[in-house]
Amino acid sequence: MDEWKPNPTVKPHKKRSWYLAWKYKLMNQRALRKLCQTGAVLFLLVTVIVNIKLILDTRRAAYEEEEESAQDYDDEMLNVEAPRHPVNNKKVLDVEVYSSRSKVYVAVDGTTVLEDEAREQGRGIHVIVLNQATGHVMAKRVFDTYSPHEDEAMVLFLNMVARGRILIFTIKDEGSFHLKETAKNVLKSLGSQVAPFLSWRDMWTFVGKKGGEVYGEKHAKSPALSTWGDPVLLKTEVHLTSVEDAECHWPDTELNRRRKRFCSKVEGYGSVCSCKDPTPIEFNPDPLKDNKVFDVPVAVIAGNRPNYLYRMLRSLLSAQGVNPQMITVFIDGYYEEPMDVVELFGLSGIQHTPISIKNARVSQHYKASLTATFNLFPDAKFAVVLEEDLDISVDFFSFLSQSIHLLEEDESLYCISAWNDQGYEHTAEDPSLLYRVETMPGLGWVLRKSLYKDELEPKWPTPEKLWDWDMWMRMPEQRKGRECIIPDISRSYHFGIVGLNMNGYFHEAYFKKHKFNTVPNVQLKNVESLRKDNYETEIHRLLGEAEVLDHSKNPCEDSFVPDTEGKVYVMFIRMEQEADFTTWTQLAKCLHIWDLDVRGNHKGLWRLFRKKNHFLVVGVPASPYSSKKPSSVTPIFMEPPAKEEGVAAVPAVAAAEQT
Amino acid sequence: NGAAFSKVKGSQSGQDSTRWHVVRKFLGLTSGHNIPVYLIDPLILGLVDKDIEQIRSSPDGPSPECKYFCAPRDFTTFALLDKTWKHEVGLFRTAEKMGFQWLKIINKDPRLDGMDDLSGMEIPLHYIFKLASHAIHLVVFYERSGNFLWHGPLRLKQHMDRKFVPFRKLHFGRYPGAYEKPELLLVSIDDLKVQIPKNPSSFLEEMSHSRFLECRYREARAFFQLYPDDASLDAVEFRKKAKSLLHLAALTLNNLRVKFWLSSGTCLGWYRQCNVIPHSKDVDLGIFIRDYKADIIPAFQNAGLPLKHKFGKVEDSLELSFQGEGDVKLDIFFFYEEDDHIWNGGTQAKSGKKFKYLFPKFTLCWTEFVELKVHVPCETLQYVEANYGPEWKVPVKTWDWKSSPFNVQDNGVWPIDEWDNVIQIY
Repeated sequence: MDEWKPNPTVKPHKKRSWYLAWKYKLMNQRALRKLCQTGAVLFLLVTVIVNIKLILDTRRAAYEEEEESAQDYDDEMLNVEAPRHPVNNKKVLDVEVYSSRSKVYVAVDGTTVLEDEAREQGRGIHVIVLNQATGHVMAKRVFDTYSPHEDEAMVLFLNMVARGRILIFTIKDEGSFHLKETAKNVLKSLGSQVAPFLSWRDMWTFVGKKGGEVYGEKHAKSPALSTWGDPVLLKTEVHLTSVEDAECHWPDTELNRRRKRFCSKVEGYGSVCSCKDPTPIEFNPDPLKDNKVFDVPVAVIAGNRPNYLYRMLRSLLSAQGVNPQMITVFIDGYYEEPMDVVELFGLSGIQHTPISIKNARVSQHYKASLTATFNLFPDAKFAVVLEEDLDISVDFFSFLSQSIHLLEEDESLYCISAWNDQGYEHTAEDPSLLYRVETMPGLGWVLRKSLYKDELEPKWPTPEKLWDWDMWMRMPEQRKGRECIIPDISRSYHFGIVGLNMNGYFHEAYFKKHKFNTVPNVQLKNVESLRKDNYETEIHRLLGEAEVLDHSKNPCEDSFVPDTEGKVYVMFIRMEQEADFTTWTQLAKCLHIWDLDVRGNHKGLWRLFRKKNHFLVVGVPASPYSSKKPSSVTPIFMEPPAKEEGVAAVPAVAAAEQT
Repeated sequence: NGAAFSKVKGSQSGQDSTRWHVVRKFLGLTSGHNIPVYLIDPLILGLVDKDIEQIRSSPDGPSPECKYFCAPRDFTTFALLDKTWKHEVGLFRTAEKMGFQWLKIINKDPRLDGMDDLSGMEIPLHYIFKLASHAIHLVVFYERSGNFLWHGPLRLKQHMDRKFVPFRKLHFGRYPGAYEKPELLLVSIDDLKVQIPKNPSSFLEEMSHSRFLECRYREARAFFQLYPDDASLDAVEFRKKAKSLLHLAALTLNNLRVKFWLSSGTCLGWYRQCNVIPHSKDVDLGIFIRDYKADIIPAFQNAGLPLKHKFGKVEDSLELSFQGEGDVKLDIFFFYEEDDHIWNGGTQAKSGKKFKYLFPKFTLCWTEFVELKVHVPCETLQYVEANYGPEWKVPVKTWDWKSSPFNVQDNGVWPIDEWDNVIQIY
């Protein structure tokens, strides 16, 4: 506190808003007087003088208050990583909640637990959940209910919060535009009188107990479409209950002790904390016979998305053949909640002080995580690398157990990945089929220790190079012509929507319709044919068997492929040299598969399914398989789109690079 | 029939049935939780070693008397491999129910210490289970890169009960230690089934010089703050080659059972930056001349490292150089012990001039370097300072082995008639 220095960027902003509020008020007064035409010039002058004095006073007052509240923020800064301040056996909590256009804050017993005055972000309804016995912050969320569907997320969240918890709401900027009836009713059921009538740019604060009493509510209506309601500050007291009352009475087992610790700290995980019928936190999936990956360490790379991590770890721990002792979760930053999730499942977690920024930060986090993994498991020859926003297929480890020997023995392999970039609902069909591809898909993959230690680690991009680790790994200098093995049907599913390079639209377009294997114990077909030379034999066999499609038809049309099942078809597209993907990109676009860069190719050949038929695309003449083209067939050429479309696609490409 | 058995024990003079009972209870506790502990108590292993043939041949035989676990001692030492058990609270609850008091000593995980900015959970290094007047010291061993086992030092924290057991008397924990992975043998001694190292005498021998030094990761980070690491392709390539050369050299010398340590620039690299110095051009090892074997040269040649030059002779200033892959040289210096110092020699080929490099006496410690368990002088700072002077922290790119070292002395000239023998260049 003593070392606090006023923040020069904040002060003028705040001063101005107070000043303007007063100025508008005073101008109105003056206008009234003028209208009435009762005032003499002298009187006006006096008024002006008084007003000027008032303004000056207000400014001073505002300045002082600024300094005071700013000290609170300083506290907040110190407590940024640990907002759960202890409350010493106190029975009553003082709660302050502030709502305004440009700033919200919540203070509990003088400690700021939420403070948001950043521009251009944090819009909507902020919700804080407090433990009714300890006063600790258990969850902090913001729902941008100005935008569509966010109110649904809020309802979902509020329904998951246990009865008896203390809920604090405050609006920043605008929170009503897409706040629909259902959500308003939920707020009303919590005891809010105002919620049903919340409208455009209203300011609102509310404190209540879920399923119980209301501690206070304040509201300021927006006077006009173009202006915001006045800031509101709600000060109230909350009576704490006993710890006994706040906890569930689960049988005293080691698992339940973990559960109890978790559930008394955080909120928003639904039935895992249900008193009556809590969802299990131990899964005991069937072990795998002859599991070749039982001793392979699993590194889960995580940031601060604890709900994702929770979902991810549930699916991972449910996969057959999982070995929880080999799992380490690497958290990028000193975040408590992800660590709480890790401990809930009895796994080990490691926190990583963030270095560098944005993509470079992710990249450095990856490096540290991989190095640590091989340090912790010095006997390991491989590591499985997962991310916190993936669902893991039930046969993930079975898939790896059947294929990992290839990575050990075939030096032309770069990785095994659980993800097929082109494996969409309409293009993937066979869970037992594997491919070799020249691209590195990531999203659940196996890394060979020797590759990491001898090649990647020593020259990993340094923090000042703002590179994506995966783009770097895909560069020819690193990949050196080696290939990855992927399944036709992915063994991971990318559910992350909010991430560094993710947005809702992008996810919808490129990830939602991805096929994900749910069949247990799939026996992979002919794994040996994935070895370098065997694979060529296999491809030639396939091409020999394949029926050449009618190249006079439009390949984008469904009718391009006959209405058959289980046949093999081939088409030839124009591909002048190795890097000519003009036609492929257009084809990918119209087939609604990944088109943002080239994925899934092997020597100018792509393999996918159309209408349950194996569908091969050969780039002529660049591909060595061009010789299979009958001389009568002219390779299909497709034009790149008009200029504007190309321009529009640019940001999407930038966004796609991370995945 | 433990009760009857212990009765016999108790009646014998100078024997302590309490110890036997506590050990039995402890073994019951660990086997009940599927925790595979093994005995590493040096005093007991010493006794066991004398009877090892007999113990091996009768793994189940009843003992006529309590020979091992009844000598009155304050504690008995066991080991546990970290990866063979899951840290579980259940063990301690059962232990408490059985009447044990227990103490856990945890500390930072050294396997993450070398890494920037990672903070893992602290790991358990030692446990002490106390019952009545006897305590079990359970040492936790961890696998480290370099295919060896490591145990941590035992350091008490502020609030801990310093009188819980006579800590100073413990056989493990004064220093961290490095061990090979032991082969275990299940035996029955004093009617207790217990795992012991298959070869107790070699375990005890290993224990006598097991002291481990952790690299100074924090100082290395500070060094790289001042002098950013060379990330050029050449540097990456050199480090890769130096690492594989060092691995090959270690394999060759270990097979011959010749003890060696990191010397000169390689030692400086470990001590100063926990890595190979990329602008050094060779890998340097030291060997005591008393450990010299004639097999060394053919062994390296068989490993694919031809002899580049041989200077000096076994009696004086011996130095061998082998040609590694791609221009990286392996230099082996032989060290001669005097009453108050140790030295190694150098020879200038064209002039026959001799040089002498003086070091204060040192002992050897284990460390982990480029995924290898290797020796370094325990008194590393004195060693490095002797060689490089007080400015050893400042990188020097131009180095002349005849004049740059801080501890170089002229040592005359080889007699011309010996040149053919003491200056051999290939």
